[in-house]
Amino acid sequence: MATPQVASLIILAIVLAAFSLANPNFLSPLNISNMMAFLPELGIMALAMTLLLTAGEFDLSVGAVFALGPVLVMLLAQTAGVDIGLALLVGLVVCIAIGAINGIIVTKIGISSFLVTLSMLLIVRGVALYITQGFPLKSWDQPGFFVTLLAGSFDLGPFRLYTSLFWFIGLTLVCAYVLNWSKVGNWISAIGSNRSAAVARGVPADAVKIWLFITASVLSGLAGMISAFRISAASPVAGTGYELEVIAMVVVGGTALTGGRGTILGTVVGAFMLRAIRNGIVLIGVPGLAFNIFVGAIILVMLILHAMIQRRSVRR
Amino acid sequence: MTAEVLRLERVRKSFGSVNALRSASLTLREGEVVALLGDNGAGKSTLIKAISGVHPVDGGDIYVRGEKASIRSARDAIDLGIETIHQDTSLAPDLSIARNLFLGREPVKLPFLGVFAPLDFPELRRAASALLRRVGISKKLDADAPVDTLSGGERQSIAISRAMQFAAKVIILDEPTNNLGVEETHGVLRFVKEVRDAGHTVLFITHNIHHVFQVADRIVIMRRGEIVAERAVEDTDLLTVESLIMGVDVSTLVKEAKAR
Repeated sequence: MATPQVASLIILAIVLAAFSLANPNFLSPLNISNMMAFLPELGIMALAMTLLLTAGEFDLSVGAVFALGPVLVMLLAQTAGVDIGLALLVGLVVCIAIGAINGIIVTKIGISSFLVTLSMLLIVRGVALYITQGFPLKSWDQPGFFVTLLAGSFDLGPFRLYTSLFWFIGLTLVCAYVLNWSKVGNWISAIGSNRSAAVARGVPADAVKIWLFITASVLSGLAGMISAFRISAASPVAGTGYELEVIAMVVVGGTALTGGRGTILGTVVGAFMLRAIRNGIVLIGVPGLAFNIFVGAIILVMLILHAMIQRRSVRR
Repeated sequence: MTAEVLRLERVRKSFGSVNALRSASLTLREGEVVALLGDNGAGKSTLIKAISGVHPVDGGDIYVRGEKASIRSARDAIDLGIETIHQDTSLAPDLSIARNLFLGREPVKLPFLGVFAPLDFPELRRAASALLRRVGISKKLDADAPVDTLSGGERQSIAISRAMQFAAKVIILDEPTNNLGVEETHGVLRFVKEVRDAGHTVLFITHNIHHVFQVADRIVIMRRGEIVAERAVEDTDLLTVESLIMGVDVSTLVKEAKAR
């Protein structure tokens, strides 16, 4: 059970060591602060995706929700003059609705989550583009309680830390608890492992899945808000391609794409790994345009390693 | 005569224009093993799915211990003491034996937390090991081992034990010996007898008539969505049963074949 995670950790350590040898600045306080600012945004989405994948479904609309959430909130607050608290509430309700629609269509009509959420990706992204007419919103210049809560920063020694890191840590603990220790966590794994077995035991599989889709949408909206507050801007094209990056983080961490086996610790390692790779590759001087070649190749190597570990433990 | 546990009266089920179950009536009594036989498409699976709540019936009545019952979901059936072990689909392979044994009925601490309540792991493990010992599963199994490390026969035994543990009145087995080796098959059949001796009623579907004569007390035969015959095992024989399943007299077929 622990082998895939241990392997991921070892590989993460190797990756970190290699990058810091290649460029000592990789582990400089400034660079670490930089990585830690980005990490929670994708990491939070990856946590929700882990639960969803463990239950045997996935969500391609998370990157679009990441954009629509803040665009909607800031448009309401800036253009319509709505109170920021109320605007955030509207954003939350919209995220819940998107997740619920995804979940209900997948479970009640029985269309694969790949197709449903792919359509939802286009719809949500389209809405974000249309309501902004394709332009980023003017920059957010109203600091306040919510900005501090989601994206406040402070210095700790030589490090600059954001409050988003605490959201990530907190949500990691919650998700790890839910998946590994709670009753519903047992249901999530069972549903992904053998849905009909779970249903035959009276597990409300459809309801669990709908809630997981809602969780994925809400956490993507939250991640989008954190990002928008951090950079003081909301763009309708933010988060493009994040859905695949998030899924990559989850499977690199050792969660099975086919459901049944999920690991939150693995996802945290996977999130670290992908952020570190993206950052490290730039620092060691790989040309910008060649960047994705390396990211793709490293992910592939990771997956091959997991498959080999998996096969060996099955033969045992 | 022992008390009746489950009675079906003229239950019906159709899927679109297909009448999978026309009018099936059946009574199960305490502590008996009943074999449900029939050719493919005879309605056996539909019948057990109706009883287990997977496909609720369109009409007819179901009585549990003489009281009228409504079975609209798997949960209803379980709550009424009807446990079903579906072919190859009753366990989650990625979960441990212990987690599988208690799936849907997990022992928890702090129950006020609802579905977020923490599992009571010591209790889970203790109960699982006790159960494995009690049902006398021959090989020593680790309650924390994932189910996909087990053999087919071990999985069947685990699934049956789970049904027994919840003091099920009726245990339904859908082709329990399918895909099993000879030795494992005998293990499972022996286990079925033990289940009966412990006071449970067993209804099982199979295509293997030899197994029926080894464990069943009574044989129920279905054809085209109806129950066409019921026989006590000691009052019948293999040829008669085969004839009833096919709806033709097999002995004449045999004679004809020999005559040629």
